[in-house]
Amino acid sequence: MSLDTNFMAQVFKTAIAGVPVTLQIVLVALILSLPIGFIFALVRIYRVKILSPIIRLYVSFVRGTPLIAQILIIYSAFPSFLATIIGKSAFSIDPINYAYIVFTLNSIATLTEVFRSALQTVDKGQLEAGLMVGMAPRQTFVRVILPQALVSALPNITNATLYLIKNSSLAFIMSVKDITAIAKTQAAFSYNFLEAYLVVWVYYLIIAYAAELLFWFLERYFSRFQRTTTAKSFNWHLFSFKQPTTTVQAVQYDPKKELVNHAHN
Amino acid sequence: MLTIKNLTKSYGPQQILKGIDFQVNQGDVITLIGPSGSGKTTLLRTITTLEKGDGGTIDFAGVQGELAHLSKNDIRTIRQNVGFVFQNYNLFNNKTTLQNVTEGLVVAHKIPKAQAKTIALAALKKVGMADYVDHYPSQLSGGQAQRVGIARAIALKPQVIFFDEPTSALDPELVGEVLKVMRQLAEEGATMVVITHQMNFARNVANKVVFMADGQVVEAGSPTDIFDHPQVPRTQQFLAEILSNV
Repeated sequence: MSLDTNFMAQVFKTAIAGVPVTLQIVLVALILSLPIGFIFALVRIYRVKILSPIIRLYVSFVRGTPLIAQILIIYSAFPSFLATIIGKSAFSIDPINYAYIVFTLNSIATLTEVFRSALQTVDKGQLEAGLMVGMAPRQTFVRVILPQALVSALPNITNATLYLIKNSSLAFIMSVKDITAIAKTQAAFSYNFLEAYLVVWVYYLIIAYAAELLFWFLERYFSRFQRTTTAKSFNWHLFSFKQPTTTVQAVQYDPKKELVNHAHN
Repeated sequence: MLTIKNLTKSYGPQQILKGIDFQVNQGDVITLIGPSGSGKTTLLRTITTLEKGDGGTIDFAGVQGELAHLSKNDIRTIRQNVGFVFQNYNLFNNKTTLQNVTEGLVVAHKIPKAQAKTIALAALKKVGMADYVDHYPSQLSGGQAQRVGIARAIALKPQVIFFDEPTSALDPELVGEVLKVMRQLAEEGATMVVITHQMNFARNVANKVVFMADGQVVEAGSPTDIFDHPQVPRTQQFLAEILSNV
């Protein structure tokens, strides 16, 4: 067995047209689902009547069914649903819109749970401390609780984004021309499937790796206040199983300073 | 300046506070002592509106009313006139030492930033933490964190400062630095209500000691009254147990 490298180079060139499509699906889904997921999480945490159980049901439906089933349902149900309300032939709609809908609905469910658990990790004492310096609950929430919750949510948001990137490859089912779809079409001409799939593999690897790096910087930025005890550095080695190395930056402890302080008292 | 009458509070079927009368006068340093589960912490949390009382009245900072039916405005007024020092510090983890102190001044009391910084630095200097303004809570020892907690409370110039077991979460060798700061505050005339198991502090710094058990004030009086001549058997029993442990 030998790989047709010329063909691979050719697929590499043509499939690049799919990269913006994949990124578009991921970005649209993220931009829509982050705020909605956050609001849904608040509804669940504050147990808003009627809405809270509905969201819980929604989340368990989305999480309890395979993505492929969700795609097939939306893709076959939505056009006829649209046709009945606007009467227009819904098949003229660009299929990428269906991809937006499916992946947004899917990410909302994931992110609702991500934000919910993140908000719950912040100690109740933080709110009480805010109230006791005279701040309103809302002020305390925005200035104290939210920044801390965001830090604990970020690793899971990274995970959700990586899943979203990889899952977006299923958009080819809805005849969206993303990386996977283009490579598949190319391969079908000459039956060089393995070569085409390897190219797909590399593309997703690059995108996922870039996303990981981006989120690592975000995490580092937002967790400034925790960083002094342990500083994690990004694990640049693609195929390493090693956990990111942890270097301990010693908190400068100056016994002299301590003495001076006691003298102050 | 602060009067609580007939305060009751239950969690489910269990009554935690069974009709407490409690008075604080200007300049008082009151220590609350008693076995765990006696309702000391709940009393403090109810007075400061962290918990809602079931019955009883409050008269404080111009607010007069039923603890169970305080308006939003009343609650705000009470909160803006008390300081609270928590057992586990509860410093804002995402803020530096300085920001921890200025936060309430700027956001709640609408003091201009520059002025808030001056007030905060003075408060931090008083507790001996002026050299740590840019440290985050995760970089502080327990004793240092609690001193910042005290600075955060006193910077707001509250009428009364409540301390909920301020040294209970500390390593024994760090207790001293916090008690020192508290003693200094008391000498400067701050009005304080302190829950503590540090009997030396209760005896030497407070002008009034309140002994609570089973949701009731069993006995109250000067430190000499309570420690040297306790009248009620329950108080005598508690003190005998506590003092024999030393």
